[in-house]
Amino acid sequence: MNQAMLWGVGTSSYGRFPDQRVESLAWTAVAEAVQDAGIRPDEIDAIIVGSVFGPPGVATRIQRGLGIPSVPMWTVENACASGTAAYHEAVEAVRHGRFKCVLVLGVDQMSTLFSGAIVPEATDPEGAASLPLPGLYALQAQRYVGEFGVTPEQLAAIAVKNKTNGMDNPRAQLRDTVPTVQEVLDSRMIAEPLTFLQCCPTSDGAGAAIVGGDRGDRSDLRIEASAMVSGALWDQRSEDVWGFASVARAAEKAFDQAGRTPQEIDVLEVHDAFTIGEIITLEALGIAPRGKGAELAPSGHTTRDGAQPVNPSGGLLSRGHPLGATGMAQLAEIAWQLRGQAGPRQVARHRVGLVETMGGGAAGMDGNACVVTILSTQS
Amino acid sequence: MSELGVGRPTKRRAGSAVGGLPVADSRPVLDGDAVLGSRCTVCRYPTAQQHLPWCPVCYGATEPARFARTGKTWSSTVVAIPVGTRRPPFGLAYVDLDDGPRVLAHLDEPAVLALGTRLEITGTDDGDLVATTEVQ
Ligand SMILES: [Zn+2]
Repeated sequence: MNQAMLWGVGTSSYGRFPDQRVESLAWTAVAEAVQDAGIRPDEIDAIIVGSVFGPPGVATRIQRGLGIPSVPMWTVENACASGTAAYHEAVEAVRHGRFKCVLVLGVDQMSTLFSGAIVPEATDPEGAASLPLPGLYALQAQRYVGEFGVTPEQLAAIAVKNKTNGMDNPRAQLRDTVPTVQEVLDSRMIAEPLTFLQCCPTSDGAGAAIVGGDRGDRSDLRIEASAMVSGALWDQRSEDVWGFASVARAAEKAFDQAGRTPQEIDVLEVHDAFTIGEIITLEALGIAPRGKGAELAPSGHTTRDGAQPVNPSGGLLSRGHPLGATGMAQLAEIAWQLRGQAGPRQVARHRVGLVETMGGGAAGMDGNACVVTILSTQS
Repeated sequence: MSELGVGRPTKRRAGSAVGGLPVADSRPVLDGDAVLGSRCTVCRYPTAQQHLPWCPVCYGATEPARFARTGKTWSSTVVAIPVGTRRPPFGLAYVDLDDGPRVLAHLDEPAVLALGTRLEITGTDDGDLVATTEVQ
């Protein structure tokens, strides 16, 4: 197996850009990633695109501005993990020698499809019954609160932490003010116990990465692990809340590949579409024991100056959530952090980083897919 | 949120409730005193899904099944935003049926219930299962 490396990353800004073309968002991210990797576009020998709501043929529409003809190219859809699922395919392809240099792209433009919350999928039992995604997370949260006694203030602390971090992210959608815990709790209720400020906005944006082999460049990041799992049945037999098990399965594979423990991770970007998501995810990753994840943010463990900063970019709660692009945005942030290029967001220890993206929503499964990747600097 | 899907196609299949085309109904069906679904003839795994190719747990053959309408609350919430034709606030709960699968039901009165609260599926509303707190 060849060693896969991350050569470069790039992103667009995140926000509501209904007047921009989908291609423009993608081209911004691709141009930055190609420059960051220091390659010519014709060195790219495959293109993998992650998108959920892109127009049919979105990859080709983007490709026509790139001048990279005839290379193998395909689009993958794995809900919110679409971007990192595309990345995972690139990593596997490079590991197995299929390609030498792969362009990975995640893109979605939600503002041209939905005027508010995402319309639930009507072919799904839960969607047909009017369960919105914040409602699914709310059911997860109420179960978790009932089992472990998590307080509303602990939930709100996630929003305060991530929105504080997001103030220093010029590409984030929301960076006007940092709410207090009380303001988070006082914001309009969406689905009990999740208030408006505990839900990420739907957004437009793109993220890109260049994945290749070891070319002897010291600034490339070593991809120690990349694991992707699809969902498993989530039903009356499940002992975990919805979504936990898929993250845990991917995490176990990733830590096994990297030969590391959760305690060795210096900085993390994880899927915080809703505040409860970050808590559940950090437990599934092994950063906190079961039932203790809610203590991480209030204790300062996961703040930017804490022992293990989580979502120094501001996370989805600040950046916004263009589904297919989210995983690539997370990857870009970890790359910038590991290289010490994160400016005012820079965390102190930045040798080993982790990205986790969880996509879900199909009823009866513990997720559509989850990707966990671990990267490190070559020191 | 009835304006969604009107005047603009969305990639997400919205269904007729929000202005899209009708789609096959995938929700669990209440038939008299039972919720319909399937049960594995080998491992007895119960599910509210129908027309399965095989048991998703052991790959054995499945047969149509009728499940009791009573069960326990796994979790519940009150949704405060409009969704489809639903106007807020409305209550939702995952109910673990006593001899069967976990199903999503609307609560007849919006409320967050204690975990394990006994519920009974008492009817449907526009195809959605409706659950009522069981009278002790
Ligand atoms: Zn079976």
